Amino acid sequence: MGERSFTEDVKQLGYGHGQVLHGEGILAITKALLQSGVSYVGGYPGSPISHLLDVMADANDTLLEPMGIYYELSGSEAAAAALLGASINYPVRGAVTWKSVVGTNVASDALSHVASAGVVGGALVVIGEDYGEGASILQERTHSAALKSSIPLLDPRNSLQSFARFVEEGFGLSEACNEPVFFSIRIRACHMRGTLRCKDNVRPQVSMLTPLGAPSFSLERINLPPFTYQMEAKKFTERLPAARRYIVERGLNEHHPGSEREIGIVMQGGLWNTVLRGLHALGLADAYGRTPVPLLVLNAIHPLVPEELVAFLARKRHVLVVEEGMPNYLERELKAVAHEARLDVEIHGKELLSPHGEYVPALVVGGLRRFFAVGPPSCRSHAAIEDAYAALTAEQERARAALPQPVAKRPPSFCTGCPERPLFSALKILRAKAPELGDTHVAADIGCTTFSTQAPFNVGNTVLGYGMGLASAGAVAPLFGKRVISVMGDGGFWHNGLTNGVASAVYNRQDSVLVVVDNGYTSATGQHHNPSTGTNARNEPTGMTIPQALRGVGVRWIRTVDSYDIPRMLATLREALTTRFAGLKVVIASGECQLERQRRIRPATRRALAAGETVVQPRFGVDPDVCTGDHSCMRLNGCPSLTLRESPDPLREDPIAHVDESCVGCGVCGEVAHAAVLCPSFYQVEVVRNPGRWTRWLAGLRAGVIRFLAPGSPTPA
Amino acid sequence: MSGERSEEAIVSILIPAVGGQGGGVLSEWIVEAALAEGVRVHGTSIPGVAQRTGSTTYYVEIAAGGDEEPVFSLYPVPGALDVLLAAEFLEVGRMIEQGLVAPGRTTVIASTHRLYSIHEKIATGRAIYPQDALREAARRASRRLIAFDALALAREHATEANAVLLGALAGSGVVPVGEAAFRTAIERKGVAVEANLRGFELGLGLARGAGEGSVPAAPRPSLPAVPAALQAEVAALPEAVREIATRAVARLVDYQDVAYARRYLARLRPFLPAAGAPPERVELARVVGRHLALWMTYEDAVRVAELKTRPDRFQRIRAEARAGDGVVVVTEYLKPDLDEIWGVLPDRLVRPLARWAERRWPHGRPTLGQHIRSTTVTGYLRLRMLTWLKPLRPVSFRAREEHERMERWLAAVARCAALDTGLGLEVARAGQLVKGYGDVRRRMTAMHEVVLADVLRAIDAARTQGEEGLRVATALAARLRLLVLQGPEGEAQVAATTAATLARLEAGDAAGALAPLAG
Repeated sequence: MGERSFTEDVKQLGYGHGQVLHGEGILAITKALLQSGVSYVGGYPGSPISHLLDVMADANDTLLEPMGIYYELSGSEAAAAALLGASINYPVRGAVTWKSVVGTNVASDALSHVASAGVVGGALVVIGEDYGEGASILQERTHSAALKSSIPLLDPRNSLQSFARFVEEGFGLSEACNEPVFFSIRIRACHMRGTLRCKDNVRPQVSMLTPLGAPSFSLERINLPPFTYQMEAKKFTERLPAARRYIVERGLNEHHPGSEREIGIVMQGGLWNTVLRGLHALGLADAYGRTPVPLLVLNAIHPLVPEELVAFLARKRHVLVVEEGMPNYLERELKAVAHEARLDVEIHGKELLSPHGEYVPALVVGGLRRFFAVGPPSCRSHAAIEDAYAALTAEQERARAALPQPVAKRPPSFCTGCPERPLFSALKILRAKAPELGDTHVAADIGCTTFSTQAPFNVGNTVLGYGMGLASAGAVAPLFGKRVISVMGDGGFWHNGLTNGVASAVYNRQDSVLVVVDNGYTSATGQHHNPSTGTNARNEPTGMTIPQALRGVGVRWIRTVDSYDIPRMLATLREALTTRFAGLKVVIASGECQLERQRRIRPATRRALAAGETVVQPRFGVDPDVCTGDHSCMRLNGCPSLTLRESPDPLREDPIAHVDESCVGCGVCGEVAHAAVLCPSFYQVEVVRNPGRWTRWLAGLRAGVIRFLAPGSPTPA
Repeated sequence: MSGERSEEAIVSILIPAVGGQGGGVLSEWIVEAALAEGVRVHGTSIPGVAQRTGSTTYYVEIAAGGDEEPVFSLYPVPGALDVLLAAEFLEVGRMIEQGLVAPGRTTVIASTHRLYSIHEKIATGRAIYPQDALREAARRASRRLIAFDALALAREHATEANAVLLGALAGSGVVPVGEAAFRTAIERKGVAVEANLRGFELGLGLARGAGEGSVPAAPRPSLPAVPAALQAEVAALPEAVREIATRAVARLVDYQDVAYARRYLARLRPFLPAAGAPPERVELARVVGRHLALWMTYEDAVRVAELKTRPDRFQRIRAEARAGDGVVVVTEYLKPDLDEIWGVLPDRLVRPLARWAERRWPHGRPTLGQHIRSTTVTGYLRLRMLTWLKPLRPVSFRAREEHERMERWLAAVARCAALDTGLGLEVARAGQLVKGYGDVRRRMTAMHEVVLADVLRAIDAARTQGEEGLRVATALAARLRLLVLQGPEGEAQVAATTAATLARLEAGDAAGALAPLAG
């Protein structure tokens, strides 16, 4: 399963004491989970933490099961968070993971309950903080979720060794304070390649091999009054103070004294690398992290330890807080602490950096430069810092001046041969050819289908949440005056769409059309299995289907259409939009994820060819002298393999269409040209490799007759 | 402690790529090579949806030596990048735009091949980023540029573009990793080792040799032969239009016959420049010559059938599909509409029906969808038989319609050129809009006629405003054409643009009319 095979990585997960692991940040975290003696691991995939779940899936048979560790790909982040319920009553360690902030939002209910009841076994939530450059979701940070539920939040600095250490400390912290713990890791850090000196894996005391057997009951752990009041009190009188003690005792935060007396920088641990590089760019640090500027690196950003902060702030005049995201909790807390301690220090933060955006070097370097103008270091002159900064920006400006015009954007899109593309081609064709039906509100969803909102389709008026497409049309449908359309992938359908979307729409008798795009996998996260894939992440059969589920919640109008069959899709959409049936109409657009399909059939084809078996390989082409270069096909398609080339006739100045060799022969370009009545330029070529004798003889015969009929031969006319 | 020290201590390599094109493998090779060399290394990437054909970047830092662990950064510092290793050429432009390329520091190693962005593809006209300008920008923005078409090279040598680029990185000498370590990395990865090593050596040699290796651009297609009967006439044409006329005449004879090509030359004659004519006048003749040739060879069903039944076409298809000794089956996706079907029939026969059909189906016409297997005898014959209708073409319904339109265009060009050559040139350029099939063709033809009519109205409205009025009409013609060539969104702005221009002209405000047209 998954985009990549992790066979090599799985081998490294078995490493023992002293062995050196080479791999990505996420692998180090996974290894550290095994070194911490976890009894269970779960989660919902999503960039940037998908690979954690993929590696675990690949390691299930050889490593996890023999150790008795339970592993699952949970139905949603809420289901994953609920797994932590195992640690409420029982002394078992467990970890779950998801993409945040969206996953945390989905998980909130269960998470709040776990945080209220408290845990006796260490419970770790590995948060892939999908924020900033390369993020695929809305821009919020998880910090506030930690604050409101009193969940300690680790944001360690970026090296594999540090990740492994803080996973292990996370379990210790969780058990010390009886709260689940967030372990946050940023996008690029997840996929940072480095090395880890390993320890032995620890076999869990409670496992599937050595099960619990007896239940544990305590009213004090049931989230009902009056115990909820006690739980709240415990958070602030016992649990957070215990967490603070642990943070201090274990030295989770790092204080680098430096030689400067009056200035200092406080930062989230995850920004340590960038801050050090920024200092280096201004001539205030060397490549190895030695700097005269005092630093307080907060690897634990919640709870903060006031004594630690006061000790750092004392006797300083200016301190900069480098903290990504708003609200600026760290900065505010530092100001409050300084005020209470009557310290004569000015605390700077967002006003010198930025209230929004990922803290990338450009932003941090600019902020540091402004900080040193306010609080100048004694070891380097203001002019020298300004010169270093000016040298950097001058280089950028010189380069930019060389560029004659802006560079076209390159939005993400459907892959070559994707089964979702023809659906949106059909919707766009319907919008143009039958605007009275097709030009309607389209509620988009999250997943690969979201790319429909981008060029060339621009189909989809809202994107609201994973599996929430249909639900988001709930009030639009009755207010719109014509039938609206919602789109949902199979991943979203099982995650949230079936209950909050479909069941709610049937229950409220919504008269609208839902298209479920069933490509067999939760593809956007990396082709993860979902209930209708047929097997789960452990490759056990499931026997669940989307039509079954739809019928089960009372949907009566269901049509399944091969998503590549554009004429049938158009006819079915027309029917759904015009039928007298007033309830929810569901069209299932069915077609296997092309990435997964290619991954399966390419090796099979290679083997068949090598064995001399007959193989038919389709692909598409454009006749370069027939194409007039109006590019209408591209506006309805957008396939990466459908591209441009110069016309063979120099008289034609506009580039013409061309299907490049990445074509997988799905046929959408031809079908679109056909359905939208564009042009006769497209043709399909099927190459029959290793043809049988009969095929070869027939082809020879045909070619002979055609040669006779072809121009240049005596014409019958 | 000083900024200079780490320039030696850490080498930064940014790898911009188009998602799904294998930038990850390239960065992994570099990391592996550094490990094989025994130096400290660290690499990062952005996973997830950005890889689905969107822009994405990989970033690697290599520490040159010493026992101490450096502080690696997860991102490049703008203005302080050592190497940009681009697997696609427009991504170089994007990195320059983002301020990541430093002329005083960055070595740019790039493949010059292009994977066009969707925005370059969906314009009706040409929206491709000009390649020469991009190359010039890359040269000026970098300390050293090593640029070549790695994809073309890779295809030629049955290897991967990534491997060629890796070789170029090794050959550039900017990273503290020896070439042996790079080879080890490829071997350790264990995928298509032989082919990738071949690519690596290719890139290595290129980077060591010329500062800026290049694959020669595709040669311009050679000039076709002019039929004997027309050789004297073509030879008598002014030099500046002779090449265009040669290609045009060959195309027209291929399309119909010698007489048809003579008709073309006769239509072109009024626009031919006299000796010593100004360049605009020469350009006018060239533009008319080009668009007229394409228009006169409009793609009717007969033409399409002819192009699709030529023996060399099947050879081309076989070659492109690398069919080898396999059997090839070709299926044509044809869907002529009513206009195209009876367009090939005689005008007199069809005209009354056509008039009725226009009223009956004002938007779009009924179509006859068919998938024809042109590699079977019956399939081939169905297409081939269509070509036998060629003798009817001169009297066909479609011919009459098209030639009437051409005459209107040529008359408008002549009239405008008489007022002002620049204006005539812009009106002639509107001939570029006539293209496509079926609905698209009808829409584009309608837009072409709207542009002509709007420009003529502007000339009328501006007749009291002398040269400035003509400048407005010229600018309007150019603006409207560019709007249509942007695509449907641009087309939607045509009417409003004309209305605003006419309103200003009628108010006697030529300067005010001109200003918004410049953008």
